Amino acid sequence: MKTKKLILTAILTAFALVAFVIEGAIPPLTPIYGVKLGLANIFTLFALYALGTRYAAAVLSLRIVLGSIFTGQLVSFIYSLSGGLLSFLLMILLKRFFPLKQLWVLSVLCAVMHNIGQLAAAVFMTQTLAIAYYLPVLILSGIIAGAFTGLCAQLVLMRISKIQYKS
Amino acid sequence: MTNRIWIVVFSFVAVLCLGIWLFISSVSSQSMIVGIYKDGSLVEKIDLNSVTGEREITLSGEYGDNVILVSNGRIEMKSADCPDKICVNHGELKSSTSPIVCLPNKVVIKFEGSTDGADAKTGAVG
Repeated sequence: MKTKKLILTAILTAFALVAFVIEGAIPPLTPIYGVKLGLANIFTLFALYALGTRYAAAVLSLRIVLGSIFTGQLVSFIYSLSGGLLSFLLMILLKRFFPLKQLWVLSVLCAVMHNIGQLAAAVFMTQTLAIAYYLPVLILSGIIAGAFTGLCAQLVLMRISKIQYKS
Repeated sequence: MTNRIWIVVFSFVAVLCLGIWLFISSVSSQSMIVGIYKDGSLVEKIDLNSVTGEREITLSGEYGDNVILVSNGRIEMKSADCPDKICVNHGELKSSTSPIVCLPNKVVIKFEGSTDGADAKTGAVG
């Protein structure tokens, strides 16, 4: 049923937005731009596995646009979008290789890709290749954050797989 | 188990990244000449050894002002109007491989060295 999926997409978008705004309100752990958990991605991953690619794309793009409006930071919009697009492309390309039990692996790969995309955008914006020095730290934080958000989505999905959320 | 293989792969990459990070952040600069860049172009070049007293440089950008404090042998971002304050939290510029960066205002402060490899990597500047 399409209506059911539509409603679930809206709910997931709202959840993702709340997670995004709350995370933004917490002071950063490190003085490095881009090191964060990315809690909102739990809901994108959830949508990808529970509803499908198109719905996940809706959750992600709406969250990025609305999140940037809510937090009022246009700079973060550019970085968010470049990282988000790149990692989402990777996500839909690789999804077929990763069943639900390996969701966390896909999440890690996408998180790392997201950070690489953001850094590439930063290099482009500042015209300074020197900030590529952050690459190792961003890959490391991508692995940790990706594993965490991926496991969150995976464990929830595995527990509710009996519930009828499909069609 | 596929999961186990992935755990090993990711752990390996993580440790590798940590190693590289620790290595490059420990490299301290030989030269004391710093360059201040705004929007990718050089604003000012300062030899930190020849600075006497304290001096403030203010750069205005899209997201307000960046105030750079220069004193003998020392340069830091004193204050910034950008939302994240990452450049201010960076503190004093110490390593040739870790520049002070303000992404919102596109300000970069880094050591200029002709002897180390860092300069070749930053060739895109200017």
